Amino acid sequence: MSFDWPILLPLIFAGLMGLAILIYVILDGFDLGIGILFAAAEDTEQDTMIAAIGPFWDANETWLVLAVGLLLVAFPLAHGTILTALYIPVFVLLVGLILRGVAFDFRAKVPAGRKHRWNRIFFLGSVIASLAQGYMLGVYVLGLDVGPGGIAFGALVALCLAAAYAAMGAAWVIYKTEGDLQRKAVLWLRTALVLTALGMVAVSLATPFASARIFDKWFVWPAMLYLSPLPILSAVLFLWLWRQTFHLPKPGDRHALLPFLTLAAIFTLGFAGLAWSFYPFVVPDRLTIWQAASAPESLAVILVGTVVVLPIIIFYSFFAYRVFAGKATDLTYD
Amino acid sequence: MDPLILSRIQFGANISFHILFPAITIALGWVLLFFKLRYNATNDSAWMRAYFTWVKVFALSFAMGVVSGVTMSFQFGTNWPGYMETVGNIAGPLLAYEILTAFFLEAAFLGIMLFGFRRVSNRVHTLATVLVAGGTTLSAFWIIALNSWMQTPAGFEMRDGVAHATDWWAVVFNPSMPYRLVHMLLASGLTVSFLIAGLSALRYLYGDRSESMWKALRTGVFTAAILIPIQIFAGDQHGLNTLEHQPQKIAAMEANWNTGPNVPLVLFAFPDEAARENRFELTIPDGASLILRHSAGGIVPGLNDYAGNHPPVFPVFWGFRIMVGTGLLMLAVSWSAAFFLKRRHSLPKPLALVMVPMALSGWLATLAGWYTTEIGRQPWLVTGVLRTADAVGPVAGSHVALSLAVYLILYALLLIAYLGVLVHLALKAAKDGDTSPLPGVMNRPLSQPVAQPGETS
Repeated sequence: MSFDWPILLPLIFAGLMGLAILIYVILDGFDLGIGILFAAAEDTEQDTMIAAIGPFWDANETWLVLAVGLLLVAFPLAHGTILTALYIPVFVLLVGLILRGVAFDFRAKVPAGRKHRWNRIFFLGSVIASLAQGYMLGVYVLGLDVGPGGIAFGALVALCLAAAYAAMGAAWVIYKTEGDLQRKAVLWLRTALVLTALGMVAVSLATPFASARIFDKWFVWPAMLYLSPLPILSAVLFLWLWRQTFHLPKPGDRHALLPFLTLAAIFTLGFAGLAWSFYPFVVPDRLTIWQAASAPESLAVILVGTVVVLPIIIFYSFFAYRVFAGKATDLTYD
Repeated sequence: MDPLILSRIQFGANISFHILFPAITIALGWVLLFFKLRYNATNDSAWMRAYFTWVKVFALSFAMGVVSGVTMSFQFGTNWPGYMETVGNIAGPLLAYEILTAFFLEAAFLGIMLFGFRRVSNRVHTLATVLVAGGTTLSAFWIIALNSWMQTPAGFEMRDGVAHATDWWAVVFNPSMPYRLVHMLLASGLTVSFLIAGLSALRYLYGDRSESMWKALRTGVFTAAILIPIQIFAGDQHGLNTLEHQPQKIAAMEANWNTGPNVPLVLFAFPDEAARENRFELTIPDGASLILRHSAGGIVPGLNDYAGNHPPVFPVFWGFRIMVGTGLLMLAVSWSAAFFLKRRHSLPKPLALVMVPMALSGWLATLAGWYTTEIGRQPWLVTGVLRTADAVGPVAGSHVALSLAVYLILYALLLIAYLGVLVHLALKAAKDGDTSPLPGVMNRPLSQPVAQPGETS
């Protein structure tokens, strides 16, 4: 059997990039979400919440660098087109990520009186970054169209994604804490789920009107039949998780990780739906993954490294998560 | 407003802000490893105190480096799409390898290095420190390889206006890469040793005579004293390499207009590009010929051979002089401090006072050096392959102006906050001395200093 590498390589890289984005959204999703929930938490709770993400956030954000890096190296034409079209939202995202990234460290090191200021910056940066990501996703879905309708749709997706991140954050807090904070997080999760569901319904209703192309991809027979498990399964998981919020936390802290895993599964299903909507385009309606790809020999060079290194990365990431497994205690350098 | 000049200022501001922090973390990782190994060997808890003080600086610097680095990876696309479109086949794999081999390694083990002291065995904690330090250095390797390739491209061919790699070995180890890598790693070592020496001197001035202060101070001063002569030699070699591969940059660094023998070394001047001459010149006869060609009759390239195709002279000329001047000052200060520490086992107060501002001398020299070499590459983005003006994206000038203004304000505020925290950490360490209790290592409890009666902590 022979492979047609010039056809195969861009496909592999599109898959890798999608994987990197998905992992990023799930992992940084929970720590951005915890930043959003900062507004609803007391001082001492904030310290515990930070301790729940402290050892991980940096590695989580590296997946964004990998995703953008793969876009940059595998699809240079798309990288330029997408990022110049999204100049302002990307800039806002970066300002948000800068603020929250440094606030994380500053809040632990400044004189005690200034800690409040950095807590507020951490919240603000997380909110800005989440909204910017949602907005970019919305505008991207519409094929980088930035008219009034595009802006409104982008804003809707932005709110929806921020709510979804807050749900992820709450689910992570349920997993990593106990006692009052854990009970509080269950309430946060319930509220965030309702908001996320509202947002998703609104986005689903708006998408066919906003983009005829996506409508045509979903609502044709028999694709509709094959695709129907995606929305149905998502809805079932959603409802199930919502019901769970009335039973959590359970005796002996059983199933504490389950809300997070359920949300991760919902994110994955949603992501698969998005991927279906775009394939084979990397810039909607303009550039396919083959038109935008780098030279095959360059992709091959990167692929060799990726195949060797990515399993190692995943292995030691698991190791790092295991070292800090269990309930979050106070985070100290010693 | 012109998007080209605004985009250049923005990228320049961004990368200037960014390099401050890798310049610290690259070498500080190894210094922390040194502290850790000394502790493992001697069981002296003062080494561990020095480690805990400086690991906080590492954490903060690392976070600053990460957020400003993420910003840059996006700016390639937002402001310079022509760059990846033309040389993406070369730059792409180098950046990809940096992310895959270095970024993840650093990020995953940073958590263990910072917060894992009580959760993993001492051996694993030491290993985490090694991997983080190795990751930062590996990251420097890849990015310097890419930067050097932009200065002295090799191992590629152009097909339909797009660069394609023909020999990856030649791409990575291009002519200027080994020199630039060594020069930068030494610069990082000097930046960190002066930072440690300077903040320890601040603690000293505040009356701190604790063991951990002395250990950090000695480490900083002796490392600086050893590295600076090596750096001067490495810098000279790097200059000779530049003379061979980028003569127009050397001509601008020396502000030499006409090619010929017996070229003087210009100590001070205002290069005037309109008149193509130097004003208020102060020179040493035959100096440049002697330094660059090791003979008074040596031919030194002049700018007039490259009219319209050489970098702006003023910033390159002065950037180089600021770097060299700072380097000579570093030599004087580190050797005097080393003398007093070695022979007299003390530090005179005036010298300590000088060492405090010198804590940032590494930053100044690093920035001045990078300005020299990067502006010295203009008008090219990739020498002979892609002009900077041809890589800029179709973004409105007003958008770039807005983002530039916000970045500048943000960076200025963050820099103030960062320096404030460094001083705060140093003064807090000075106040605590070696009295605050140290927690235990998982499998090797540290000796707990017992608080003396009547002492407040």
